[in-house]
Amino acid sequence: MRTSFNGSHSDPRAVAYARATINLASRDVRIEDVPCRNLEDVLGGFGRSFQILAERTITHAFTPDNPLIINTGALTASNVMTGLRTYFSAYSPLKVSNKGLPAAMWSAGSCKFGPKLKWTGLDEVILEGRADVPVYLVIRHSEAGPQISFEPANDLLGLTCHEKIMWLRDRYADAHFAAIGPAGEHYEDCFMAAVALSTENQLRSGDDKCRWAGRGGMGAVMGYKRVLAIVAQAPDRITKLKPEIRDINKAASTGPGSRKFREKDKGGLGGTWSNYEPLEKFHFVPQNNFRPTGDGKPELMFRDHVQPDFVVKAESCFRCGINCHKNVYEKNADGTRGAFLAKFDYEPVDLLSTNIGIHDPRKAATLISLVDRLGMDNISVGTTISYVMDYNERHPDAPILNGARFGDFDKARELVEGAATGKFPEVGRGVKRLSESLGETGYAMHCKGLEFPAYQPDTNPGYPWAIAGGHMSMATYMALALEGNTSLDYWASLITGRGLLFVRDDLLGLCKFAGVTADHAVEGLKHEIGFEVTSAELLAAVRRSFMRALWLERKQGYDRSDYTLPSEVFDRPNANLGVPPFVTREFFSQLSDRVWAVFDREIDEIAKT
Amino acid sequence: MPRIRFTNLFAERIGGVSAVDVQAATIETALRALTDQHPSLMPLVWAKDGALNPVMVLFLNDRQLGAAEIGTPVGPGDEIDIVPALEGG
Repeated sequence: MRTSFNGSHSDPRAVAYARATINLASRDVRIEDVPCRNLEDVLGGFGRSFQILAERTITHAFTPDNPLIINTGALTASNVMTGLRTYFSAYSPLKVSNKGLPAAMWSAGSCKFGPKLKWTGLDEVILEGRADVPVYLVIRHSEAGPQISFEPANDLLGLTCHEKIMWLRDRYADAHFAAIGPAGEHYEDCFMAAVALSTENQLRSGDDKCRWAGRGGMGAVMGYKRVLAIVAQAPDRITKLKPEIRDINKAASTGPGSRKFREKDKGGLGGTWSNYEPLEKFHFVPQNNFRPTGDGKPELMFRDHVQPDFVVKAESCFRCGINCHKNVYEKNADGTRGAFLAKFDYEPVDLLSTNIGIHDPRKAATLISLVDRLGMDNISVGTTISYVMDYNERHPDAPILNGARFGDFDKARELVEGAATGKFPEVGRGVKRLSESLGETGYAMHCKGLEFPAYQPDTNPGYPWAIAGGHMSMATYMALALEGNTSLDYWASLITGRGLLFVRDDLLGLCKFAGVTADHAVEGLKHEIGFEVTSAELLAAVRRSFMRALWLERKQGYDRSDYTLPSEVFDRPNANLGVPPFVTREFFSQLSDRVWAVFDREIDEIAKT
Repeated sequence: MPRIRFTNLFAERIGGVSAVDVQAATIETALRALTDQHPSLMPLVWAKDGALNPVMVLFLNDRQLGAAEIGTPVGPGDEIDIVPALEGG
């Protein structure tokens, strides 16, 4: 970013960001400094990319006019710890309105690709059009400015995400990589394809340890564009650490905000995997397609239960002191660490084991690793497979696909492979389309086309208003377990207030797991890019961005019928949950009225701008 | 005075304040003082039956405590962290 402050350090128009617009068909590249129009432009991430998407009229995700915007946040590549985020934004093949129009979507991933991209001299890359043959792009830093070249990608075709990254690693020094896998190459049949981002650990160890921009099919859009990978090659440009930033980082790495994600011997609670235990107290751990049974089987995947048979090592993204990655390795006979198996986070573990009736950590690791290699979003594929199994349980005489039922590991693996390779497009295109084609939508666990993460919909009436996936874009998914409040006032206030501000870090370039306070984020902006803003102004920009996303949904045909929950939440309450069912049709209808009374007004204001 | 530190989940309800110093002799009285001072934190800290919210975890000077240790004495300079056991994705 380039700043030219003249007096005030709070004027967005004094900030410009560097953008490369790459026309994949003509191979024209335009690099320019773009002046910021508002605070959202300065902050970056989806705050900026959604303004670009708002200018387009897109009726199908797989058209040349649908841009793939790859950008960073203001604090990406800064010295603020976890400033590592890269954002991929486009109209999504997976997130669609009931009218069939694609919705604007972003997906974020961590590690060093974002910083490397920024160190080439670019804050943003827009991929326009579609290449005529498979290519990979190389973005290099040079003294004369960023250089961009197209390279033939024939050697990459068919390789897994990890294999592509290893191939590129061997040819490009001092670089990091974004790559799609077979799923992205089969974009027509796999709308849930993800983008893998390389990690330092992966490049050094050779283990399959990518990070992911997983949600919403950004890898499918990249696959449609025939861009199999992107190389960001630049020397590290780490600046001297200022005392103010050192204090922020210390608070992030040793303070209460990151305790959940740190190891127990580092004063932590052991990572997201450890969500199993508190959720199971209430029987809130999804089982058998989000239908907890109360049989205690989720305990078989508790970390304390799994750990004795494996080695679990906490590892981290570049320069991050939290070590939130809980990587599971084989345990050798002498107790030492053997081969890497998979990274265990709560979401993939639940959705690829407990929620499909599998209670074996080794099988879970196999499925997680397979989904990663093929390059899919483990939430979307896990939740779609649980639907297939549920359908087959309900229709034993007329099962679909390979007849998979809960607990059938081999058939689950077959469905995963088939989703990524075109054998089972019914899975790859997501649960909304599959359930609609079968005429049984009541237990299809999604909102607006995005499959649910591993949190029960009957505990979270806020799901429909999440703008980019049910949990990371609306902080209501744990509220019932945290506070036990089932009042209308509480939920309306949560959704329209604190819940939506959860997307703050999706502009800034930070990881939510760092628990950076708003005041620290403001300090970071001041000391890292010289931009001065108050916490209130920052949060107002976040709120405007959220409203812009809702306006974009409206633009793509979303109406009240899209903002609902699977009907079985209302019609088939689960008595096994530890809290009496409260999300009735009447409750939800009243909640919707309350939420829209607030949001409609603000969306109308955004529409005028 | 002991200091209670907490996550954004708490801070965002009380104007962004991420730590509060309280006069108290035990962890429990410190938490009572916290919620007396900031009633909006009541449902996060305390369950309906008045016990510690079962999804909250306490740390005293970096050492994790069990729920039964809520009566642990505290003094000046002690740091109490109250952290949700549920977070992330």
